[in-house]
Amino acid sequence: MASQRKKSKGENLALRYLILGGWALFCLAPVLWFLSIGLRPRTEIITPQPIYFPSFSLDAWHMIWSDWPMGQYLRNSVAAIIGSVIIDLVLAIPAAYSLSRFTYKGREDIGFYILSTRMMAPAIVAVPIFFLFRNLGLLDTIWALMLIYAAINLSFVTWIIRSYMLDIPKELEDAAKTDGAGELRILWEIIIPAILPGIITASVIAMIFAINEFLFTLLIASTPDAYTMSVALSNFTGGSDGVIYNAIALVAFLAFVPVFLVVVAIQKHLSRGLTMGAVKG
Amino acid sequence: MARIELKDIQKSWGAVKGVSDVNIDIEDEEFIVFLGPSGCGKTTTMRMIAGLEDPSEGAIVMDGETMNEIDARDRDVAMVFQGYALYPNMTIYENIRFPLRMRGVPKDQHDAKVRRAAEFVELTDYLDRKPGALSGGQRQRAALARAIVRQPQVFLMDEPLSNLDAKLRQAMRVQIKHIQRELKITTVYVTHDQIEAMTLADRIVIMEKGAIQQIGTPDQIYNDPANTFVAAFIGSPPMNLVEGTLEGGVFRAPGIAVENLSTRHSGQVTLGVRPEDCTVTGIPTHLSGTVYGVEPTGDVTYLTVKAGDKLIEVKADRDYRATLNTPETVTFDLTRIYLFDTATGQRLR
Ligand SMILES: Nc1ncnc2c1ncn2[C@@H]1O[C@H](COP(=O)(O)OP(=O)(O)OP(=O)(O)O)[C@@H](O)[C@H]1O
Ligand SMILES: [Mg+2]
Repeated sequence: MASQRKKSKGENLALRYLILGGWALFCLAPVLWFLSIGLRPRTEIITPQPIYFPSFSLDAWHMIWSDWPMGQYLRNSVAAIIGSVIIDLVLAIPAAYSLSRFTYKGREDIGFYILSTRMMAPAIVAVPIFFLFRNLGLLDTIWALMLIYAAINLSFVTWIIRSYMLDIPKELEDAAKTDGAGELRILWEIIIPAILPGIITASVIAMIFAINEFLFTLLIASTPDAYTMSVALSNFTGGSDGVIYNAIALVAFLAFVPVFLVVVAIQKHLSRGLTMGAVKG
Repeated sequence: MARIELKDIQKSWGAVKGVSDVNIDIEDEEFIVFLGPSGCGKTTTMRMIAGLEDPSEGAIVMDGETMNEIDARDRDVAMVFQGYALYPNMTIYENIRFPLRMRGVPKDQHDAKVRRAAEFVELTDYLDRKPGALSGGQRQRAALARAIVRQPQVFLMDEPLSNLDAKLRQAMRVQIKHIQRELKITTVYVTHDQIEAMTLADRIVIMEKGAIQQIGTPDQIYNDPANTFVAAFIGSPPMNLVEGTLEGGVFRAPGIAVENLSTRHSGQVTLGVRPEDCTVTGIPTHLSGTVYGVEPTGDVTYLTVKAGDKLIEVKADRDYRATLNTPETVTFDLTRIYLFDTATGQRLR
């Protein structure tokens, strides 16, 4: 009886790995495919016959570093993205705290208004934003990218953090209050540590959106000074050399790697559960 | 170190009435226990004293100063929450230390105070753990330690021992009373447990459905209940309440007749008598019925007698035994009989 149960549990586990492994392969296949294209010589990519045993070549790798300021693009991307996430957190955490904890007239409306900014098609505001940044003298700078990414992501970062804050038992803050803590202290010492998974989740999603942002980046960046990976990628498609598929694939892969690494590094925080044990039940 | 007056306190959320007409004067250094069934408004009243809930009406006065507009953090109370409310990201040590940091207690005193509080609740071995890694009872003790780590004006304890086993609960009870007497801190304590209430309280406040039923010392509550609710709520097993008619000093109900009652009342009344004030005599006096159940517990035997269709509990001798459905007679201690108005439930004096 016992051994039977053990066996069925083992089979269960094998099945689980099979399903999960299949799913992982399915999700990662395009990425691996890109990598394999990126590491082939250009000639092999445009032949009409299928190639079963591709040869290995670092041509594309050398090309993207020597012919383009790839390092600069990467730096621009990273700076703009990290800056935007910091701006978002600084603004969103107090806003979410207010939206989730204080009662005042119009609170729900304000919350909805914040979210609704996300519902608008970006193209609608493209022209006004262009003029706005031109007047501010920020065109073609990563500061402008930082601000625009922050603006795009602010609404849902606020909303995600708010939903995590709503999950924190009110008794926790009541306890902190009777212990003598002020609002800012409560926010800093009690709330933020308790919603850390939410903050991390929101930041990662904001980073992914920012890394993929194209429209506004194209609008604002006009020289390599402010080009990011996503815009750089689009530059490969044209030009006198024709479409350079292996370089495109490699750059796309490079754009994917940092996000992937970040997610892997923090995935344990992406799950909820830090408030466990705070209250009964 | 504080006198608390609750004056005509009401609390409602829209149509939901939390508590109403709460009037209590809590003396300085007094140990007050709120006792009542679930949902009667104990926590609500306590939260209003703490400043975590605004009364819809009425005033909360501490040492002559109206506190309604004073923020919770400026009231200098320490509270044990019914749900513990431990800070999940901090260790137990940091949890207990938190109020010391917030109240500006000099740093060099923290360690000694935290350790003493932890020792008090027998939690010294768990100081490095996070609340998530503790059992329910350990969390509750951590919550208690966090409250007693400093010396506030008022202790508010919302069922601080509800999750402990009987032995630990008894030990903690003695400790709490000791520390309260020693530090002379006014304490409001909420419990479901009447033994806890009787042993700890200077005065007990009995609540039901958001209203105070009676305020009095444990003796008064036990010996002089104001109405049938209090009478039935206190005592284990609870007081027997028998509905019947009173006519010329004689109470009658099926199987029961009590004469020579010195009372000016008459009509539909409820007679109350505690199981410990009933004796099995063998001579027909007040109650004649049949044996319905016998429960020996060791130091006492509980006898249930059926009179009419009413079951009466009697605390009989430890050696008492009887056969089911045989006739039995019971005598009441006439000096300890209570009469209540059947319609209102109020005591008739
Ligand atoms: N925020 C609220 N909104 C609406 N009703 C509430 C609120 N808080 C409490 N109540 C109601 O007020 C009444 C009293 O609640 P309270 O928590 O004071 O009960 P309690 O005596 O502490 O009960 P227990 O012994 O179960 O803890 C209950 O009927 C409850 O449903
Ligand atoms: Mg309660």
